Amino acid sequence: MLYVELFLQGLIQGSIYALVAVGLTLVYGLLRILHIAHAGLFTLGGYIGVLVTDATGSLALALLVAAVTVGLLGMALYRVCYEPILNKPPFVALIASIGLFIAMEEIYRIVFGPYGLSYQAPPLQDSVVLWGMHLTQAELAVMGGGVVVIAVLALLAEKTRAGTAWKATVTDPQMAQSFGIDTVRVRYLNFFIGSALAACAGVMVALMNNLVEPTMGSVPSYKALAIIVLGGLGDVRGTLIAALALGVIEAFGTIYLGDLMDRDAIAFAFLIVVLMIRPQGLLGRKA
Amino acid sequence: MMSRLLKGTALAAVAALFLAGGAGAETIKIGMNAPQTGFAAADGKAAVIGAQLAVEQANAEGGVNGNQIELVVYDDQAAPKQAVPIATKLIEQDKVAVGISGSYSGATRAAAGVYQAAGVPFIAAYAVHPDVTRSGDFVFRTAVVGEVQGRAGAMLAGKMLGKKRAVVITLKNDFGVSLSAGFKEKAADYGITVVNEYEYSIKDRQFGPIVTKVKVDNPDVIYATGYFFTAGPLVSQLRAGGVDATVIGQEGYDSEKFITIAKDAAEGVIITTSLDRDSTVPETKTFIAEFEKKAGFAADMVAASGHTAAKVAIAALRKAGSTDPKAVRDAIAATNVTAAIGDISFNSLGEVRKNVQVQIVKGGAFHRHSVISDPDLLAPPEK
Repeated sequence: MLYVELFLQGLIQGSIYALVAVGLTLVYGLLRILHIAHAGLFTLGGYIGVLVTDATGSLALALLVAAVTVGLLGMALYRVCYEPILNKPPFVALIASIGLFIAMEEIYRIVFGPYGLSYQAPPLQDSVVLWGMHLTQAELAVMGGGVVVIAVLALLAEKTRAGTAWKATVTDPQMAQSFGIDTVRVRYLNFFIGSALAACAGVMVALMNNLVEPTMGSVPSYKALAIIVLGGLGDVRGTLIAALALGVIEAFGTIYLGDLMDRDAIAFAFLIVVLMIRPQGLLGRKA
Repeated sequence: MMSRLLKGTALAAVAALFLAGGAGAETIKIGMNAPQTGFAAADGKAAVIGAQLAVEQANAEGGVNGNQIELVVYDDQAAPKQAVPIATKLIEQDKVAVGISGSYSGATRAAAGVYQAAGVPFIAAYAVHPDVTRSGDFVFRTAVVGEVQGRAGAMLAGKMLGKKRAVVITLKNDFGVSLSAGFKEKAADYGITVVNEYEYSIKDRQFGPIVTKVKVDNPDVIYATGYFFTAGPLVSQLRAGGVDATVIGQEGYDSEKFITIAKDAAEGVIITTSLDRDSTVPETKTFIAEFEKKAGFAADMVAASGHTAAKVAIAALRKAGSTDPKAVRDAIAATNVTAAIGDISFNSLGEVRKNVQVQIVKGGAFHRHSVISDPDLLAPPEK
């Protein structure tokens, strides 16, 4: 039973990682930019979630407001920060992104204060006891929500015109454009969806910790990088699997390897081992 | 024309400043490094407001022998690499008479070396690493070192609460590790078996796996080190996960934010700290009331420590009768004052001698549980 419960805890953590990392891998797939500031949008989602829930009492509304606001902000970031430097070498965008992330953390601190925010009456806190295992409703929602959202996303990518346009733009932007795909619109949509998902993850993490801090995004910022590398850069399905796998490995590692290395070290040790055996990522095909 | 006018104005302003300086008494400067940005900004802010309050109170009483006191604060981001240039600047440029640290151990240790080398007295408000005072005879500390507070935690768990089976959850930094070391050192003496031990990093907020395993360990007490921003999520996740063993925390929990985060789960959590909310001592009562009025949020351990460090510095400056560093150092070493954190004095290493306050969360606020005053158990290190 202990193992089952640890496994579930791993899936909960993994679902959060997945929601954050999918946006990152979408951006990388499309633009070859490592979008560090993505984690800043995740934090903003948490803040909006707390503020809207406290003001209205509705978590659903909070999720919606966070997703839309942060989604639009993600689009604006692309327009203002990335578009002008797309033809520069990739490190230029990387540096811009890191700078942006640091600025965002400090802006949150100035606007929302250094202590962080907590829900006045956090919703979904009741424990559900299943076969002797205690899980909060929030944890179940994260697990369920994460799987549903990503499944829907995968479905959209496969079955809709927008999805086809996205995949075409990832594979060969110039060719896609010559076939009449509006690649600029694809990019905006990409930033909107990725940022909105990060915002949802932020709201849920805020709910599980009952705390949003300016620096909440610092761990996801680099761990999501490890995950998208594991998943095979730009690969949504691979990212999902890598995120869940990492969550589970961390859960067991925290308990059984905790004396040797901490959670973050476990994540990167896993990354190194995978890259030694499968340099193309967990699911990637050999080039 | 314009520029001449400007120059004239500037000249007049400078002249006025000199005249004012000449007419009034000198300003004595106290330097302070504290995180104002970054992850530790909340604690830094509370410490600075605490110190400012002490300075304002002293100035209202006439300052130091007729001279007003000025607190010069720089942001060290709780980073050693920031603390060193800041200490240098405070000593060389601002010519502070005393330095105080409202920062964490890393930054405080780094700054302590600079103050010691310059021969300027330095007081760490709440940094707990043992090496801080080992920098030399100009360095003092108003907080109890981690190991000593950990021993008090063991006495609380075993002797006062009668617990037998403990799980230790350690925040893996100098603060958490030294506290847990002190607890484990004395646990057996008070009849406690440590059944399991876990570690986490300061960035962790999700403790699901640890909670799951603790439930299997089935302890009757959990000694968990951390700060309010890790302990809040930890305690609420422990309770949500069905673990109802008593949680013993330390001064890192000591913030109203801990209760805001953990909500009902915080009820019954007991901590070892230095601020007694139910104190009847006028000094402490005044501090708690005036701090809340000035800061807009309730006083906590960090705020009280910042206030105490500044108060010790001011008392020493008054007693020394000059800003001669050696005289001020000797005055600090001979400190015997009632501060917001109680009656304090220093041992030969510059470590504080004081009681440990035990507080319990009841009805959404910290209240007095008991006081640990065993001088042998609480004896700070002498070297």
